Amino acid sequence: MSDKAKSLFEAYAAGKMSRRELLTKTAQLGVAFGAANLMLNKASTDLLAADFNWKAHQGKSLKLLLNKHPYVDAMIANLENFKSLTGMNITYDVFPEDVYFDKVTAALSSRSSEYDAFMTGAYMTWTYGPAGWIEDLNAWIKDSSKTAPNYNWEDMLPGLRASTAWNGVPGGELGSADAKQWCLPWGYELNNVAYNRNMFKKAGVEPPKNMEDMVNVAAKLQRDLGGPYGIGVRGSRSWATIHPGFLSAYANYGQKDFTVSGGKLKAAMNTKASKDFHELWVKMIQDSGAKNWSTHTWYQVGTDLGAGASAMIFDADILGYFMNGGDNKEAGNIGYAPFAANPNASAPTPNVWIWSLAMSSFSKQKDAAWYFIQWASSGDHGMFGARKMDFVNPVRQSVWDDSEFRSRINESYPGYLNQHDLSAPGAKIYFTAQPLFFDLTTQWAETLQKMVAKSVPVDEGLDQLASSIDRQLRDAGLG
Amino acid sequence: MSSTSSALAAPKSGRLRKKILPYLLSLPALLVCIGILIPFFTAVYYSMMRFRLNLPYLKGFIWFDNYINFLSDPAFWNTVQISLLYAFLTVGLELLLGLGIAVLLQQPSKFNNIVSVLLLLPLMTAPALASLMWKLMTNPNFGILSYLVSLLGFSDFKWASDPSTALLTVVLVDIWVYTPFIMILLLAGLRSLPKQPFEAAALDGVPQSFIFFRITLPMLMPYLLTATLFRLLESIQQFDIIYSMTQGGPGDQLMVFQVQAYLEFFQYTNVGRSTALLMVLWAITFALSNVFIKQWLRLRERTHGNG
Amino acid sequence: MNQLSTSQRVFRGVLLGLVILFFMFPIFWIFLMSFQTNEQILRIPPSIFFEPTLINYQALITGRLETQAGNLDIAFMENLWNSVFLSSSAVLLSLVLGVPAAYAFARYRFRLGEDIAFTILSFRFAPPLLVLLPLTLYFEDIGLSNTYTGLIWVYQLISLPLILWIVRGYFEDISPDIESAYRLAGHSWLQTFLKISIPLARPGIAAAGLLSFIFAWNNFVFALVLASADKQPVTVGALAFVTASGIQYGQIAAGIVLSVTPTLLLALYAQRYLVEGLSLGAVKG
Repeated sequence: MSDKAKSLFEAYAAGKMSRRELLTKTAQLGVAFGAANLMLNKASTDLLAADFNWKAHQGKSLKLLLNKHPYVDAMIANLENFKSLTGMNITYDVFPEDVYFDKVTAALSSRSSEYDAFMTGAYMTWTYGPAGWIEDLNAWIKDSSKTAPNYNWEDMLPGLRASTAWNGVPGGELGSADAKQWCLPWGYELNNVAYNRNMFKKAGVEPPKNMEDMVNVAAKLQRDLGGPYGIGVRGSRSWATIHPGFLSAYANYGQKDFTVSGGKLKAAMNTKASKDFHELWVKMIQDSGAKNWSTHTWYQVGTDLGAGASAMIFDADILGYFMNGGDNKEAGNIGYAPFAANPNASAPTPNVWIWSLAMSSFSKQKDAAWYFIQWASSGDHGMFGARKMDFVNPVRQSVWDDSEFRSRINESYPGYLNQHDLSAPGAKIYFTAQPLFFDLTTQWAETLQKMVAKSVPVDEGLDQLASSIDRQLRDAGLG
Repeated sequence: MSSTSSALAAPKSGRLRKKILPYLLSLPALLVCIGILIPFFTAVYYSMMRFRLNLPYLKGFIWFDNYINFLSDPAFWNTVQISLLYAFLTVGLELLLGLGIAVLLQQPSKFNNIVSVLLLLPLMTAPALASLMWKLMTNPNFGILSYLVSLLGFSDFKWASDPSTALLTVVLVDIWVYTPFIMILLLAGLRSLPKQPFEAAALDGVPQSFIFFRITLPMLMPYLLTATLFRLLESIQQFDIIYSMTQGGPGDQLMVFQVQAYLEFFQYTNVGRSTALLMVLWAITFALSNVFIKQWLRLRERTHGNG
Repeated sequence: MNQLSTSQRVFRGVLLGLVILFFMFPIFWIFLMSFQTNEQILRIPPSIFFEPTLINYQALITGRLETQAGNLDIAFMENLWNSVFLSSSAVLLSLVLGVPAAYAFARYRFRLGEDIAFTILSFRFAPPLLVLLPLTLYFEDIGLSNTYTGLIWVYQLISLPLILWIVRGYFEDISPDIESAYRLAGHSWLQTFLKISIPLARPGIAAAGLLSFIFAWNNFVFALVLASADKQPVTVGALAFVTASGIQYGQIAAGIVLSVTPTLLLALYAQRYLVEGLSLGAVKG
């Protein structure tokens, strides 16, 4: 701490800082936990300022709508740097994740100008974009008068850049040439296996190699451990049950949710290969899933792994990351492994969740809002978050290449970098972008619940699902 | 103010005062509520539209098509059925339990008074949070209730996660939260009943069950009706407990009106369908409460007509 | 009731015991959880033995939660204050508006009277979502969005019909003769209303006020949709403990205990009036 304070005084002595600034900054050293890190990052923020007028919107004040999340904690810890860089003020509303998207929908659908920018997932932009609530950010990214020369958009992982861009046409390919950039990737999660290393050792098993292996390993764990269940996956009646492990494995078999031909969509969940995969998945949950699987959201999946109630999960890698820390009972025991469901696949194909930043169309100061979005998604802030905070997974290649970040992760999260590096090339959104995403995917989850509860056979359930989806697509003029 | 009221009280203007006074007293309450009518009518309008926020080009007025579509939609009928079942189950059981507890606590003693307030605690725990706690208590690994039940030999009881016990579980939580509501209303009612009829009956040696069914219950009827009415309105519109415990699952087991309408709006942004569903719910509650209020008024006529 | 036999007494005791067990056990368990760390709560199988810690309360009250994963800012106390302010203002307004109206419906037969009463009740029929969705648009236009005034107004949907209809029943049980007698002694209508009618209906007013306070307290969708983060009640605030590094059950439990306390105190206070309900029997016709 004293070193950092010293450097402050050095900066003051060198005339880089006013007396008032020095006084407030040293006071922050004493109270705010982020302050120390803030100082470390100050130097690079100055670099960022190099040949771009960051002060163009000096004096303006922005308001953000944010979800309670470690990414937000990292951003807030670094926020003073943004303020001093731009001379702008930032206020924010943080809402719990359970109700966050309801708040976003309420704010945007009432065309409220209160919030200038907000956090979102890529799927949500398939609603917000066509509804006219958010801006196509290409207008800013491609404008050199508004974007710093060292912003380096190309540094963002290509799968994520594509996954957040859509031309708005139902079934339109993500990241196509005419796509609109509805949001910028901020942090992301891909889906792989995270497991309890002690339990795996005890049962004498290795992380599963493919879907069939996963079913068997999970069953063996359940049998041999006498207590913990074999595998944790989400199961609540929500679209969120489909998007993590389930869709990642499904996509690995080359299966699609829809086929698109001539601008029309058609349900594709009832192919032979899809049915076989569903059979395996359902059997796995019946044999070795959580007893309360049908109410499992991400946090139950995580909590069970962290508390030693489950032996492995097939879910977001960062969920396994967070369960390896904090006051979780199994902290330090969690291992990570890439997972390709299809024995014939060359690599994993994880579907991704991308926490992104979007700009409200109702904002009255869009250029200023862009300054914030640009700064928050910059390599500079990404580096700060990845090195000092829990801003994982970063969305920029330069951050993944950073040796300080890599050695920090390698030390406390063995295997984490490996699972990521092997899976990242295939990591993207495997859903078909279309406006009925939430309805139809929730219905998919509902059908899965019925199949696991044995109230409908897999074969029949999927045929019913497909025909119901086709009808809804026709009603909406999409099928 | 006092001069006005004394002027109103003068015998001359007594008649006029008697005419105007009730309006003076009741209109402010009405006026405060009337603002709500505007959004209500907007919602009626929305419910007659094809109106999905993320398909703006499909927006259009379609009269009653949203409603007509419901008729042939099995999911809709499932929602009607499960909502009514849920409402009647919870309200019925809560009435029985609430009445029983109120009778147990009827005698005013320090102990009974404290217990009656402590029993309100479940009601004070916001259902959204209470459900989180119930979800934990019924968790197969960490849950105390699951553990206790497994000690009794039911090691595979899955609570809200199994289609066969999901309804039972949410009804149980509903009973836990809302029985105190009925209990406290009936307790206040029981304790305000006049003593004379009971003393007379006791002197005549009338059996207790007769007293209860023939004297207590009829005299308690206005309170019973009020309690039932309010509970029924709440229950058929149940959201918090079901949504936080199962999100309407497993399958479509607990897909009640509010949960479906909530999903339709907040997740699917299908405003037309969401408001149409809510209008149907409104119509059902309207019809149900009409029945109750007719009963209530009839009862009132009877007691006050005689007195 | 004094001539209960011993077996009846035992039977009643057992029943009451079961009732208390069913309703109080979860509360008791939540209370215990509020003194445990997450690690203690998430034991397999759960256990009643633990070393109590005040860390959850400390985190809520100081607004800082320190974990190994980092520090979290918690706005719980602000949320609690919002709940207190919103619920009490809403109930007070409802009492001021609702009690006179309840009296009018109970005492007088007037043209449209039942219609007005029914209309006010019918606001309760409307599912909150139904009015809430268009309301967000209108609030935006008339500048009520994100204001306490707007919220307190919408809260009337919850509290006013309840107060009106419960208090009405109590007024109807009070014999008009008592009021007339007081009036004949030369007192004005207003004096009679304030000095006689309201005190007589106090148990009903207390019960209705308390219940609508509780319902206002438990609501969370109104504030969530209509106001920004600084005006959220505890019901929304407590959900913030569902964090990326695990769901903080200890804090949620402590949050419930803290959020229930003001209401419980209010109930213990109002309980005196509930007891007075008995005296009402003496004055009935």
